[in-house]
Amino acid sequence: MTYSNATIFIIDDDQAVRHALSLLIKSVGLTFSAFASAQEFLQHYTPELSGCLVLDIRMPGMSGLDLQQQLNKMGSTLPIIFITGHGDVPMAVEAIRHGALDFLQKPFRDQDLLDRINDALEQDAGNRQHMVEQQSILSRIASLTPREREVMDMVVNGSANKVIAIDLNLSQRTVEIHRARVMEKMQARSLAQLVKLVMRATDDQ
Amino acid sequence: MKGHDKTLKAEQYANDDTRLLRALLDAAVDAIIVIDRYGLILTFNRAAEHMFGYQADEVLGQNVKQLMPEPYQSEHDVYLHQYQITRQAKIIGIGREVMARHKDGTLFSVKLSVGEAGDHVNGYFVGILHDLTGLRQVEGELYKQQQRMVHFSRLGVLGEMTAGIAHEINQPLTAISTYAEACARLIKNKGYKAAEIAEILELIRAQALRAGEVIRRLRDLAVQHDSERCETDLNKLIIEVVKLAGVDAHLNDIKIITDLESRLPLVIVDSVQIQQVLLNLIRNAIDAMTDAGPEKNTIVIRSNKISPEMIEISVIDQGHGIADEMVDKLFEPFHSSKAHGMGIGLSISRTIITSHGGSLKFESIPGQGATFKFCLPSIPELLTGVD
Repeated sequence: MTYSNATIFIIDDDQAVRHALSLLIKSVGLTFSAFASAQEFLQHYTPELSGCLVLDIRMPGMSGLDLQQQLNKMGSTLPIIFITGHGDVPMAVEAIRHGALDFLQKPFRDQDLLDRINDALEQDAGNRQHMVEQQSILSRIASLTPREREVMDMVVNGSANKVIAIDLNLSQRTVEIHRARVMEKMQARSLAQLVKLVMRATDDQ
Repeated sequence: MKGHDKTLKAEQYANDDTRLLRALLDAAVDAIIVIDRYGLILTFNRAAEHMFGYQADEVLGQNVKQLMPEPYQSEHDVYLHQYQITRQAKIIGIGREVMARHKDGTLFSVKLSVGEAGDHVNGYFVGILHDLTGLRQVEGELYKQQQRMVHFSRLGVLGEMTAGIAHEINQPLTAISTYAEACARLIKNKGYKAAEIAEILELIRAQALRAGEVIRRLRDLAVQHDSERCETDLNKLIIEVVKLAGVDAHLNDIKIITDLESRLPLVIVDSVQIQQVLLNLIRNAIDAMTDAGPEKNTIVIRSNKISPEMIEISVIDQGHGIADEMVDKLFEPFHSSKAHGMGIGLSISRTIITSHGGSLKFESIPGQGATFKFCLPSIPELLTGVD
């Protein structure tokens, strides 16, 4: 596994379960951090954390579901694997609806958990990669002048230079210059690539 | 002449007396047995013959102890002897239920009352025995019915707690399976230390015992048992029940706090039944509080010595209280305010407490909570070791 900074955050109020999960995760060479309550994890949380959560659905005080909703509000993309007890299926369904990666019923096959952790780390790495790219595109867009931005939006919408020139009351030559600057600043080599970049930037914003 | 008449008359009276006495003995429905101070049988009436299966001739002059089962048979001579010395009566003038032994060896229960007659030297004892077998059979049936009902209700309470109990067993199972997997991986990775593995195995063992403990607690309550009363420390019983109900409360975000009086006298109870009552009251309290809001999340269980011979246990909740229309029906069977309740819990609880010589009551402030209290008679001279 190659997710260098990834940490598995174990959140379970049962001391023995928490400890056993820590040992298991340590035994496969992953980094873990264990918490006895949802509140304890929230105090520790920063947007920079990477990895995934192994989260008990039922806990006194703040439940696993509450924590999931809180993290969603804070814009966290950390994947969550819920571990649930007997008769928690309705809660688990709720968790999936709010974007949980999966849920495992206690007692579960440990290989299943490790597989899901692997999926989660992959997803998190993907998310992070995606976010880095998105950030980079957004900063490129931010470097455009208002006029260049206008031109780019129209180009992406499929307007021909002639049409843009008329709509913006510019000479066709000026539009061409703006357009060339846009391609340069956006680091796009073709119109197709520009469209893709713009779509990715506005993706799930 | 006159003197002669007098003698005749006296004899006639005396004969009449004997005949009357005979008639009295023979007509009596209860068995009447007269013994001397050594325990030898002097009189054995017709009802006694019928009750014990012996003819009077067979037992007259014999020791009365042969009509008793062990250990009374062996101890009876000593009792009689001691009574001559101490005059301390164990049964004389009191009367109680005892077991008697038929000629064919079968035992049956009788109500025995004993009176003393004559003087110190020529004293004898009159025993009157009333057969309880017929009565007992009816009572026994009712009793069995009631026991079945009590057990049935107990299973109902446990059924309501299934989620909590399954959770409580699943936790150690999850830990065990995960510890075992970690162990297997450590061994496969070669770089392990034996001490590390030994430590994990110890943890596995502890978790297995934890699961076993839950099952033991459960089994004690689930199994139908013959009612048995013995000296019980109510504080210990409360702690045990709180362990069982605690999980359920925990899952509902409710805390159970105990406030126990130290040096609580012991009680003589069927501890499984009292646990059942307490469990029932705690379950009701949890149900009353599930949607009461986060600041109302505490159940208090209190033990109190309210008098030298009475102990009171209270279960105090912060739930919605008892609706006015339920107050009168609260202890009636099959009235329930719960969606899944059968409505027999409180009625059975009251039956159990009453049969222990106590009482079950409640107080309720709608919107603020309810308190259910039961009291039980204690053994004043014995104190528990709780400090």
